Amino acid sequence: MATVLVNDIPVDIGDEKLNCIQAAERAGVTIPHYCWHPALSVVASCRMCLVMVGEKKPDGTVAMQPKVVPGCQTPVKDGTVIQTLDPKSTGAQQSTLESLLLNHPLDCPVCDKAGECLLQDYSFQFGKATSRMVDEKNTPPNKPNIGPNISLFTDRCIMCSRCVRFTREVAGTAELHVVQRGNHSEIDVFPGHPIDNKLASNVVDLCPVGALASNDFLYKQRVWNLKTVKSVCTGCSTGCSINLDTNKSVVYRLRPRFNPRAQGHFMCDEGRLGYHNVNSALRFTKPLERTNSGTQAIDWQQSVAKIDQSVRSAAQTDAGKIWFVLSPFLTTEEAWLLASYARSISPFCRIVSGPVPSHGVDDNYPKDRKGNPSTNPVKFTIRAEKCPNRRGIEAVVAHFQKSPATFADLLAACDRGEVAVAFVTSGYSTAFPAWGTETAERLGKAGFLIVHDMLPSALSDAAAIVIPAAAFSEKDGTYINHAGLAQTTEAGCVPQRGARTDGQIYLDLLGRRGLVRAIEIRKEIGKAVPALAALATGELGEHGVFVTARA
Amino acid sequence: MTAIAEKNVTWVKPPRLNLAEQIYLPSVAQGMITTLKHLVKTVTGLNATSTQQYPEQQPVLPPHYRGVHRLNRDEQGRVKCVSCYMCSTACPAHCIDIVAAPSPWPDREKYPETFVIDELRCIYCGMCEQACPVDAIELTTIFSLTGMSREDMMFDKEKLLSVFDQTVKLGTDPVRTRGGRLSVAAEPADAGLTGSSSAQS
Amino acid sequence: MLFDLIPFSLLVTVFTIAVIFVGVLTAVAYLTLLERKVSAWVQDRVGPNRTGFDFGQPWLKFLRGFFGLGQPLADGVKFLLKEDVVPGYVDRVFYYLAPMIAVGTALLALAVVSVGDTPVPPVLQTLSANSSSADSPRRVFPATKSELAAMNSTTNLSDVRAGYAQYNNLSTIKFAIAPNVDIGFLFVFAIGGLAVYGIVLGGWSSNNKYSLLGSLRSSAQVISYEIPMGLSVLGVLVMVGSLNLERVVDWQARHGWLIAYQPLAFVLFLTAIFAECNRLPFDLPECEQELVGGYHTEYSSMKFALFFLGEYTHMITTSFLTAALFMGGWHLPWLNDWLSPSMTGNFDLSYLFALLIKLAVFVAKMFVVIALFMLVRWTILRFKFDQLMALAWKGLMPLGLMSLLGVVISRQFMPPGMGQWGFQCAFGLVSLVIVGVVSLLLPTEAPKTVLSISRGRSHSATSAPELASRAS
Repeated sequence: MATVLVNDIPVDIGDEKLNCIQAAERAGVTIPHYCWHPALSVVASCRMCLVMVGEKKPDGTVAMQPKVVPGCQTPVKDGTVIQTLDPKSTGAQQSTLESLLLNHPLDCPVCDKAGECLLQDYSFQFGKATSRMVDEKNTPPNKPNIGPNISLFTDRCIMCSRCVRFTREVAGTAELHVVQRGNHSEIDVFPGHPIDNKLASNVVDLCPVGALASNDFLYKQRVWNLKTVKSVCTGCSTGCSINLDTNKSVVYRLRPRFNPRAQGHFMCDEGRLGYHNVNSALRFTKPLERTNSGTQAIDWQQSVAKIDQSVRSAAQTDAGKIWFVLSPFLTTEEAWLLASYARSISPFCRIVSGPVPSHGVDDNYPKDRKGNPSTNPVKFTIRAEKCPNRRGIEAVVAHFQKSPATFADLLAACDRGEVAVAFVTSGYSTAFPAWGTETAERLGKAGFLIVHDMLPSALSDAAAIVIPAAAFSEKDGTYINHAGLAQTTEAGCVPQRGARTDGQIYLDLLGRRGLVRAIEIRKEIGKAVPALAALATGELGEHGVFVTARA
Repeated sequence: MTAIAEKNVTWVKPPRLNLAEQIYLPSVAQGMITTLKHLVKTVTGLNATSTQQYPEQQPVLPPHYRGVHRLNRDEQGRVKCVSCYMCSTACPAHCIDIVAAPSPWPDREKYPETFVIDELRCIYCGMCEQACPVDAIELTTIFSLTGMSREDMMFDKEKLLSVFDQTVKLGTDPVRTRGGRLSVAAEPADAGLTGSSSAQS
Repeated sequence: MLFDLIPFSLLVTVFTIAVIFVGVLTAVAYLTLLERKVSAWVQDRVGPNRTGFDFGQPWLKFLRGFFGLGQPLADGVKFLLKEDVVPGYVDRVFYYLAPMIAVGTALLALAVVSVGDTPVPPVLQTLSANSSSADSPRRVFPATKSELAAMNSTTNLSDVRAGYAQYNNLSTIKFAIAPNVDIGFLFVFAIGGLAVYGIVLGGWSSNNKYSLLGSLRSSAQVISYEIPMGLSVLGVLVMVGSLNLERVVDWQARHGWLIAYQPLAFVLFLTAIFAECNRLPFDLPECEQELVGGYHTEYSSMKFALFFLGEYTHMITTSFLTAALFMGGWHLPWLNDWLSPSMTGNFDLSYLFALLIKLAVFVAKMFVVIALFMLVRWTILRFKFDQLMALAWKGLMPLGLMSLLGVVISRQFMPPGMGQWGFQCAFGLVSLVIVGVVSLLLPTEAPKTVLSISRGRSHSATSAPELASRAS
């Protein structure tokens, strides 16, 4: 039992090892800080977190240290007293901010960080309104493209060195350095060694000011226009928690959201930049039907009726020739609805998991300085399994399909001509496809191929009916990652013009009325499937819940 | 929203009417006299109306009149706007649409690739002008704005710049805002001509 | 047996209808111009002053202007040519019916109202020989069988027939579509009461909540204000003893204007017709600030114009009625004899001249009331709905009863002439004061009003007591 007094508020910190910033946060007190980050080493270089620290003696007297100390570097123990409101602390905050702003260009109107900039926030909260700077400001030239996706606005930098420490400690490749000394210090890369590791864009999130900017997002939107929802990255089976930033139903950026159960603080560039197909103009927006003369758009009611009719008429001859493929890009709820539909047709319909795209091997970080795998403790992993919900789909399939069948069985049946209807859900990323043209051709041999996909592909070319799929940013649902962590994702956009969410289509197929509500279906699944019982609560919280004991 | 504490609320009773007010008629008569007075004065010409006979008689507008917008040019003839979205953020009618891009000029980072104001949606409040940090957008004294279609009233960058050319050439609307330069970084000291117009120096 | 006495000539009636209809439509058109002009003048503006009769032709430029006299014509053309928008989901039958009812009832009510000199029909012999004064009611038609028998025995029907033949003579010019209607102004009020159906149906069938609210208000308002209106004209009926408008005017020509007898009733009547016509300060059915346009929000083009027409026709009708009931109709004081050449049936110039003078007098009186309508519009603010209802039920109703009481008492106990006049006048004024005092003494349930709210630290400088002291 250790109790810390923050501005006279007692906080019980148990036996955790905390610094002043963390302890104050428990008390609801913000100690401003730039260079300190919970995932990085402590350097105490920005001096923003200077506070008065003292100790309460057992006899009740308080002995304060004579001067302010950096809160990030000062551990707390039982009896530690932190004062953030006394004149020395506030004076230190004001002076530090004035110092940091000496050479800052104050070009907030054209800075992409404006609106989520800690320099702005702290200046407003803790700073003073004026500067005593009379000299010409330092205006070092900008360094666009210090990495393929990163620009450095050198003059905005406050030398917190978070980015430098990130490349050294988390990415391991150490591209970024502080060069020069004193007020000429700059962040830079060595010539010919741009910052291009797969975690590089995290430095943009880490940068507390607008110095590092993502080229992908540069000048696209002002951040106060963005609407943020809590989502999950679908790039790989790590299932990074993300913030999805959208405006008027267009996705503009993905940012990692801290989740100790999933990935920690960061995310990889593959996932971060992998959202572009969501905004693609090539996406299907209307159900398409293949006729002798080509394809034609049909309306939703028609498409649902046609699918239902074809499946039912096939079920009358031999339901064993009807195959449903549940893609690992579906949410668990959608898979559940589609599988329920399959079962409502006939107990003999075959439900199989879609192929899992696996590319390369799990990519662990930190690397060594040359970018090769190292033996250091793993801080971040990019999975080889490039889909978000393999485990969720497998659990649903296992629940409905007692005699297991595989995707390979389906292909074999296709080759034998024993497939009357194949309902193939897809949604695979174009960067990591799950099948090639050859597989698509084999699936095309099915008597009636229904493809549910976002973008045109060899498979959709072979389909009798194509229904547009919704992107991950457009649907609510649950993904279960490689470790069995079920996380909910929230729709940040409405589906593109004319499109519907996958769950809605399956609900219509099932003949259930109303609009799909992921939370209700989640509760339904939790009740019905013992393996997914953890979903029964509906709300899974910000960090998700493990559906099984942690692997 | 938190409830308002009772101690912060002052309750008053509306005043009671007296007999004459209760009967209404005296005050009605009083009002009628006022109305009638105006009527008689106007009809007999004792009371000069301030009506202007518009198309023949053009109004004399104050320089701060809020009419059609323009985008100001700097001394090199380039658009002054740095595409900061402050105007579109301040706009209560959401009528300004900007697409920003990296600027082709070395002295600034950002410029508007497109800049469209929906003049039909605009309420001519002038907030954009107040919000602009580089004095790039101003409202002119052009008040009679017509178009044959809604598309005609979507003023793009070229149109807004042409309004600048037109009003400056005619001399009806000199550049009147003088906020200052954006920053040293946006406009380096040696490129002193940018951002600050002659009206400013 | 007696029904052939009813004066009726199809040709004359059709001709009168045509003349009055055209006259009223023209009047309505120019009243809209007048309304705009008056509102402009009251607000120190100019008003319409450009639309003349140049029709956009340069060579007719000299016809431009003229106080905007071409404006009604332009408005009419505009109304006819504008797109007639019928919103989806309206109840088509009633949606189309409503403006017809509005304008139809307004025009129908005008049928019995004279717009100029209309001679008094001959009077049948009094039934009861013991009637006390010459002003006692004279029934034209028997009410019961026994009365009929009595009448047949005492009345010289041939005389009556001769009188009516004279009255019915084509050369006797009558400025009314249906002259000599014994239910007279009761008919006007009955039809005027129907006019609310136009509003209610229009509001309801529009399938628009604003329209519906407007029409609901209208129905409540019109029903409420018909009571004080009825009470105020009841005094007239008691005094004159007939509902026949010609007889009312004739009575006033002989005894003096009823406005002098019953000023209170006149004020009540005036107030009530303001409400009946949905004019400010009682234009709640269409108050723009709250209800967009009220019951005619969804109407456009000519259908809207019909509502408009109905409203203004209603105004004209009620104004004529006011002039006839209280302001002596087409008579000018002290000039009665001079302006009443004997009805010889000969068409001479003095008769024609007198007719024209009387027409002008009557129209001028009507116009005074209309001008009052227009001036009040810019003088008195719109009432709130609760105030509107309170005024009708707590103010006008008791006053109407008091006024009637005064008339009845004087009619019973006072000698005709000055005595009745003085008593009725005094009684009206006293009752006005009494009602005022009573309403002063009645406890009001006026709600407490929040004067100010100060909250948060930023406003703590102005404390509540400070505000209270500032307010007092």
